[in-house]
Amino acid sequence: MRNDPIKYLFIWPAFMIVLAMAIFPLIYSLSISFMHYRLIPPIPPSLIGLDNYINLLGQERFRAVIWTTSIIVMVSVALQYVIGFSIALMLNARVPGAKLFRVGLLLPMLIAPVAVALIARMMLNPTIGPLNELTTFFGFPNLPFLTDRYWALGSIIAVEVWQWTPFVILLMLAGLQTLPEDVYEAATLENTSPWRQFWDITFPLLLPISVAIIFIRAIESFKVMDTVFIMTGGGPGISTETLTLFAYQEGFKKFNMGYTSALSFLFLIFIIVIGVIYLAILKPYVEKRS
Amino acid sequence: MSVRRLSGMSPTGRSLAIFGLFFWAFITLFPLYWVLVTAFKSPPAVNGGPTYIPWVDFEPTLQAWRDIAVGLRGNFYGTVINSTLVGVTAAALATLFGSMAAYALVRFPFRIKLGSGLIFFAIAFGGYLFLLEFSGLSRSGSMVYAFTCALVVSIVVNRYKLPGPILGNDDVIFWFVSQRMFPPVVVAFALFLMFSEFGRSGLTLIDTFWGLTLVYVAFSLPIVVWLMRDFFVALPIEVEEAALVENVPSWRIFIDIVLPMSAPGLAATFMITLAFVWNEFLFALFLTNTKWQTLPILVAGQNSQRGDEWWAVSAAVMFAIVPMIVMATVLGRLMRSGLMLGSIK
Repeated sequence: MRNDPIKYLFIWPAFMIVLAMAIFPLIYSLSISFMHYRLIPPIPPSLIGLDNYINLLGQERFRAVIWTTSIIVMVSVALQYVIGFSIALMLNARVPGAKLFRVGLLLPMLIAPVAVALIARMMLNPTIGPLNELTTFFGFPNLPFLTDRYWALGSIIAVEVWQWTPFVILLMLAGLQTLPEDVYEAATLENTSPWRQFWDITFPLLLPISVAIIFIRAIESFKVMDTVFIMTGGGPGISTETLTLFAYQEGFKKFNMGYTSALSFLFLIFIIVIGVIYLAILKPYVEKRS
Repeated sequence: MSVRRLSGMSPTGRSLAIFGLFFWAFITLFPLYWVLVTAFKSPPAVNGGPTYIPWVDFEPTLQAWRDIAVGLRGNFYGTVINSTLVGVTAAALATLFGSMAAYALVRFPFRIKLGSGLIFFAIAFGGYLFLLEFSGLSRSGSMVYAFTCALVVSIVVNRYKLPGPILGNDDVIFWFVSQRMFPPVVVAFALFLMFSEFGRSGLTLIDTFWGLTLVYVAFSLPIVVWLMRDFFVALPIEVEEAALVENVPSWRIFIDIVLPMSAPGLAATFMITLAFVWNEFLFALFLTNTKWQTLPILVAGQNSQRGDEWWAVSAAVMFAIVPMIVMATVLGRLMRSGLMLGSIK
């Protein structure tokens, strides 16, 4: 590595923008979270210490929202990983038309979540949607896809899986292509069954990248808002409300800024705790393999 | 099966795999087909129940598109232009600044003391509260002074010996990438309040081009730094060393040698960033009103404004989707040529 003062010129623009547009707002929002600060009615902010945080932790709606978000994240990421990995394996086996499949299967992740949610509402419409026609054929007309709490939760999870499985496919496919050919040749010579080859070679070798993919997807999923905002608006009641949506409702419907900032900080702490626990649990496995 | 191909696989397994692929492809593509045909349906054709094939079970019409063209569904021309301007500018700036930073982090050693970072935090946080309470400055004034003070002090302090660990290049990269972990809503509210405060002191940022664009640049940088770092690491260093022997200055090496060599990586990064900005909803919802509204906001509004007019909603959705599908095809080309692989390892 060479040394040259010009390195500061290279790094400062990026550094300054992140500092001004992400870190400083974060510090500012931390200061607000210790205040009683409402935009409407416009009373001057006053310091109240940890009251916002204590209030929130005691609130049942907050716990319900954390629970809902966690369910959406856990179930949808698990499904994304299983389906995505399977599809990647199928694509990697040289099937006819694999190139076409690749382009087509990756489309959903490039579409705006807002658009995806609107398409989902069309598909799931209980009277004029195509899915209704399918379920009617099987004898279940007019299912409440978005108006019953369990169906709504399931629909949101399905949409998340639809949109983000391609991400898993893309990265797992890249991972599969880095696997060493000769190990498989040796295994085939020893008559190891494909099933055993998968569990003894493919899966362990892909464990590090799997851990990373699941981590990225989980972190991103915790932020989910646009999809829920359009599909159910958090309803029925608050049964599908996610953390980001809850913060939005508190901030822009009630204009209670101190409370909202405290909420978003608890959210941040929650994500960091989950992330650290996840990495701590899986680190030994990843290191042992590699 | 060698898991890498189906050659050794039983015929049943092979057909199962092909069936699985077709099944998932159907699930993936049918909704897209649906939105495409719905955009060409007339209102009675939509409300009469599902119909699938144009000219066979419904007569396609351009009604929805005509409504958009004459402005019945909101200001589409302006919004598409906004989205394009903001998206391209933000993606270009993020790719430029991000690759500069990534290059510096790959080729030059950095030593940043954790202590000076903590001092930055303490002065920015404490200084802001202090100035607000005791100096009589406005909120935006206190912010600017506290931020500048914190920055200057922490840079100066970084030159001296400090207790505590010293962060190297990998830590700085981790710091950049970890920005991506923040739930954007944490920052979105603070930005909204900050921008409003600055607006009160005369610097309008809400609903302006630069306000929105800079936020997008900041939130794209983590991904750009991450992707570009991997491209730069993979570049052969010999070319640069040869140039160094000839006494070519570092900035010329970067512009004339490194950037052209990593052009495919830059293109892919640019497109990924553009897709992120084009699709982004939360910041646009918080930080724009009417003038710089972007496409996702307008498309989301289609639903609530006039009830469920699905033919119109579909046409609006097509506006948001089609540019990205075109890009996906281009990206797919790049991927097949093995370009993306380097960024993932």
